[in-house]
Amino acid sequence: MGNNAWIKKNTFHFSDFKDLNYLVREKKRKNLTISLCLPTLNEEETIAKEIVIFRSELVLRYPLIDEIVVIDSGSTDKTREVAKAFGASVYIADEILPDLEKQKGKGENLWKALYVTSGDIIIYIDADIKNIHHRFAYALVGPLLLYDNIKYVKAFYERPIAGRRKTRPTGGGRVTELVVRPFFSLFFPEMAQIIQPLSGEYAGFRKIFEEIPFPIGYGVETSMLLDICEKWGLDVIAQVDLEKRVHRNQDTKALGRMSFAIINTFVDRLEKLGVIKTQKKLLTKMIQYKIINNEYRPDIFDIKKLERPPIIDIPEYCKKFNIDQGTKKND
Amino acid sequence: MDYILKLPEYEKVIKSIKETIITNIVLVGQVPAPTFFEQNRTKVILERMSELNIDECSTDSYQNPIGIIRGTRRNMPPLFLVAHIDTIFDEDVDHNYIVKEKYIAGPGILDNSAGVGILVSLPEIFKKLNLHFKSDIVLAGVVQSIGRGNLRGIRHLLRGWSSPIRGAICLEGCDLGRLNYYSNGMMRCEIICNISSKQGWENNFRPNAILVLYEVINRILKLRLPQKPQARVIFGKISGGVKHGKIALTAKLGFEIQSDSEAMVKEIYNDIRDIVSGISHERTVDLKLKTVSSTNPARLQFSHPLVKQTISVMKTLGIAPASENSESELSIFLANDIPAVTLGMSKGDNYHLENGSLEIEPIFTGIAQVIGVLLALDSGECDG
Repeated sequence: MGNNAWIKKNTFHFSDFKDLNYLVREKKRKNLTISLCLPTLNEEETIAKEIVIFRSELVLRYPLIDEIVVIDSGSTDKTREVAKAFGASVYIADEILPDLEKQKGKGENLWKALYVTSGDIIIYIDADIKNIHHRFAYALVGPLLLYDNIKYVKAFYERPIAGRRKTRPTGGGRVTELVVRPFFSLFFPEMAQIIQPLSGEYAGFRKIFEEIPFPIGYGVETSMLLDICEKWGLDVIAQVDLEKRVHRNQDTKALGRMSFAIINTFVDRLEKLGVIKTQKKLLTKMIQYKIINNEYRPDIFDIKKLERPPIIDIPEYCKKFNIDQGTKKND
Repeated sequence: MDYILKLPEYEKVIKSIKETIITNIVLVGQVPAPTFFEQNRTKVILERMSELNIDECSTDSYQNPIGIIRGTRRNMPPLFLVAHIDTIFDEDVDHNYIVKEKYIAGPGILDNSAGVGILVSLPEIFKKLNLHFKSDIVLAGVVQSIGRGNLRGIRHLLRGWSSPIRGAICLEGCDLGRLNYYSNGMMRCEIICNISSKQGWENNFRPNAILVLYEVINRILKLRLPQKPQARVIFGKISGGVKHGKIALTAKLGFEIQSDSEAMVKEIYNDIRDIVSGISHERTVDLKLKTVSSTNPARLQFSHPLVKQTISVMKTLGIAPASENSESELSIFLANDIPAVTLGMSKGDNYHLENGSLEIEPIFTGIAQVIGVLLALDSGECDG
């Protein structure tokens, strides 16, 4: 196919948005508010640094972000205490919309963040970034503030892996290259222009997020891209080069489970779009093997394909944001 | 002296921008800066300083990052605030910093990323405290300071500065309470022993480089060092050999000769040079003595107004001053007849380890003391 018109038009570098005073002025002019959401599960080692840097640079020095919200999946370390101590609003995911059945997963936290945050724009950033810098947030909102056609922005970067002592210059992105990119190439080649479809850093208008479903687990990034592209077209999406992101390395088995969830999401969306038809229902168990006492034993993980509906379909949400459920418009 | 009374209030205001101070320490500290390879850190320091809209921001020809805040009196000589930006950690060490409720941890934080992060935060702090100075304030990060760097950055900066300098404060990460105002004469040396690695039976019983250095150390220890002028030899580093069961063919010893008399430093150096030549000759080994760096003794008297005012500032803030000699940027200022002190910014642990940690709460007192001493210098009270 080789069509790279989108990549030329909708790809930016973080330095394109370095003029923070200009971003703040545009935000004020457009009368917008911005929320930053950090989904967490045992992130005591990195959460404080993220909050401190975002507060210093994008709340106190340049008033770009109006609130920093941590949505926690039930950390057993001091993530919540530390986040509170540095001024973030902290929520336990299970306590948000408590009447709904409880689910665990990053997607669940992101979806519930829509209910507790108030911004017109929401920035989602993973809480395990070692080399966190405020560009991770301002570069994501830059295209949203400066380009009227762009409604959703995705990050991409070089991904060195931090070891115990040393930082390796390359690596990461294995699931992208081995699973997501082949799927995009097979079924949605124009989306292969998205350099890092699984990056955990993105921002978008609430209006976009509230109208799409959120898988509760690893499939959330993939489904978000597919749904936004299907509903509004690729042109509302932009990507920003953040240059470098140092993260924790995951072992191959964990990546296998992640791939399972992502493939599940792909198949689901392909079926809904009428692209493929599966003859039988997909199973929900990922089977891996481990050696114990020279014997191969199965390690079975139940990875159910659970999905939250568009939050605009939840009456409590509509009530809180004064949305008429009949017309789905703000009163 | 009004400013002395305001210091406790300043401390509270400084704390109100703790996020900015921590951010600067982290953003600077996470960029590796081993001596001679400080370019990336220099870039970050300049970026941070230029964002704060200070009057001038650039590097000198030695790549020392420098920011200048213009004073209100045109002809008043400038005041310097300096922090060395190099650390002992290599580029390939993971420089990830961790922020916890009570401390920040990471390689090089105490020596001297905290000092640099605070230096970079000062323009924002001055703004927050609404402080304006009569003198120009020169904020200088200096490169090539430690070890083989031999304080080249600060030497070059002062050599190239055309106008007189009124006074200086050197910032170090720890410990709060540190008050340096004198530096000994120092000569930092290395003795390197190399044994021929030729094969053949005649080389089977070669001398062991580690044992040769052991002999050198023993002979140095036998030197009679005077109590007046004070003098000492500090053995600080030793390395050698390849593996447990192999005779070591190379070994290296690092040491410093320190004295408050320049002549005594030279005398001890000459004695050690004779020891090295003698052992090299007698044991037929390649033994070399190299000088890595040196400074001359210089000091302020305890009665100097800068020392007195600094102690007064520290006491007002409840800091107990502790003094010892310091062979750092301070010695170069003093050797150039510029009144200067070195101050510690906070408390910490694991000084030169990768998990070095800096307590957050005392930082604000540490910065308040810098402001106090700077105001004392600017008021003219310290013009000796």
